[in-house]
Amino acid sequence: MKLAARSTQNPIIPTASMADIAFLLIIFFMVTISFEVDKTQVMLPKTAIRLEVPKKAAYISITENGQIRVSSGEEISVPVPGPEDVLSFAATVVAQDPSKEFVLKADRNVPYRYVDRVVDALKQAKAQVIYLLSQQETVDEGA
Amino acid sequence: MKLKKETASDEIPTSSMADIAFLLIIYFMVTTTFAATRGLDFALPKDDDSPPQVEKEESVLIEIQPGGVLVVDTKQMPLEEILEYLKPKLERNPMKPVIIRPLETSEYGHMVDVFDELRQAEDKIGIEVRNISIPTQREIDAFWY
Repeated sequence: MKLAARSTQNPIIPTASMADIAFLLIIFFMVTISFEVDKTQVMLPKTAIRLEVPKKAAYISITENGQIRVSSGEEISVPVPGPEDVLSFAATVVAQDPSKEFVLKADRNVPYRYVDRVVDALKQAKAQVIYLLSQQETVDEGA
Repeated sequence: MKLKKETASDEIPTSSMADIAFLLIIYFMVTTTFAATRGLDFALPKDDDSPPQVEKEESVLIEIQPGGVLVVDTKQMPLEEILEYLKPKLERNPMKPVIIRPLETSEYGHMVDVFDELRQAEDKIGIEVRNISIPTQREIDAFWY
């Protein structure tokens, strides 16, 4: 009796779909990436109440030693010499969009006088809402 | 002479495609920074030039000293007791003004702690603190007596 020749399978791992999977992952990362306008590293205060900050809000950051950076929300933040310059910045932003929200990204250890001057500048510029950027406070810390 | 014709493979080489794609993924993963995009909102007074109509005697004044020492109406008080102190006052007058006044040298974080505590009043004591104000030094100089 003649037996048919045994068919041999090539030992290949199918990798054709690997690229598809990888590209799907790339698309996911590209969609979820959010460009931070302000990359200042600060220790944010912790709060239990946290509301989502609107996209494209103007950012003002204050580091622990009182250095201020501002961004209108569209471009990377730039340093300003002092709180007086925040007023002219805020006035320009409010003139373009009176309902523009401002985000205050201040270090939790910064002396309040720096924050006070920035908030005062925003009030004088007739800003409507300020968001005080914060980290989530966990239940244990709050108790 | 017998010539052997070489036949080119009619497949597109895709084996390196995954490598390229994974390199791109790694790039995006490394450059992605998880931005903090949440915080406390703080509405500023509307656009009118009238000075804030807050009588000093009628309002509750929370003074924040350096190190987070809180003085509420001249009495020193821990953060957790503020809402209990405010509760009877707010029950009598829901629009009771509460003024947060951090001293110049106190830390910003303590101001946020107090503001956060007052904002949680509805959950903790069942009554909202509606009238919170954080005057700036210029306003204090201009309007307080």
